[in-house]
Amino acid sequence: MTTDKGYSELAMTTPNYSCPSADGDRFVASEVNADAITASHVRHKFSSWLGCRADIDATRFSDIVLAVNEAMANAAEFAYAHVGGIGKFDVEAVQDGHSRILTVTVSDQGRWRHSDSTEEKRTRGRGIPLMQMLAEDVTIDHSPLGTIVCLRFENVHSRSYGPVVQEVF
Amino acid sequence: MGCVINEEWIGRTVVVSASGVVDMLTSPQLEASITTSLTKNPSAIIIDLSNVEFLASAGMGVLVAARDQTASDIGFGVVASGPATSRPLKLVGLADIVGLYATLDEARAALCE
Repeated sequence: MTTDKGYSELAMTTPNYSCPSADGDRFVASEVNADAITASHVRHKFSSWLGCRADIDATRFSDIVLAVNEAMANAAEFAYAHVGGIGKFDVEAVQDGHSRILTVTVSDQGRWRHSDSTEEKRTRGRGIPLMQMLAEDVTIDHSPLGTIVCLRFENVHSRSYGPVVQEVF
Repeated sequence: MGCVINEEWIGRTVVVSASGVVDMLTSPQLEASITTSLTKNPSAIIIDLSNVEFLASAGMGVLVAARDQTASDIGFGVVASGPATSRPLKLVGLADIVGLYATLDEARAALCE
């Protein structure tokens, strides 16, 4: 059973997160169910990791979480629409403390949706423009094997922690 | 991480306020509440996102749809302030389309009879 594996049900909305105890420069969510509720769980999990890992202001924090959300929302809403919405996606975020670059990759094995239909244009289709405005760089590779969205954020400073961090207060 | 929605009437102005998260999971709730409020013949509708901590593009789409389904003689405004709400609305150019106000008082002053 792989549904929701490893994801906390806790809504973490304040900076007082428990930090990941190991492998703090990397966030990984594998084989995530491509649906709205699981994408929401992963967003919370990613937010708590980012809040622990990165020394950034509230605006930058919001920008990054929104951009990553939009990449996941694309996978959750559209990638598997042709097969009844059943599928998985993966999220990996890596922060390089030296280059201060945060790279977030969202990949699925579904289909890329090329454009909105006319009646949807006003109310939909802002995810990709948002990603492009919020990240320093966005690449979207789609093929018959799936889609990989890669977001790059620059000047994401690390918090200076000791080697083992249990809690942040 | 859910979304709580309240409807409050000030005279014939309806204030639909959301708190929490407005994303692809919860935005249908907001959309349904707005649609219901519009059936009660308000003179103006204010969508108050002051207590929203996360607004995704799905929620922005609901705001545009609400603006589109509101008759032109009914006042319409959105209250939002902060990096998670008013900032992305401005970035995608929706501030002017939906009528963005920083506080509920400002929206009421502009829209209430």
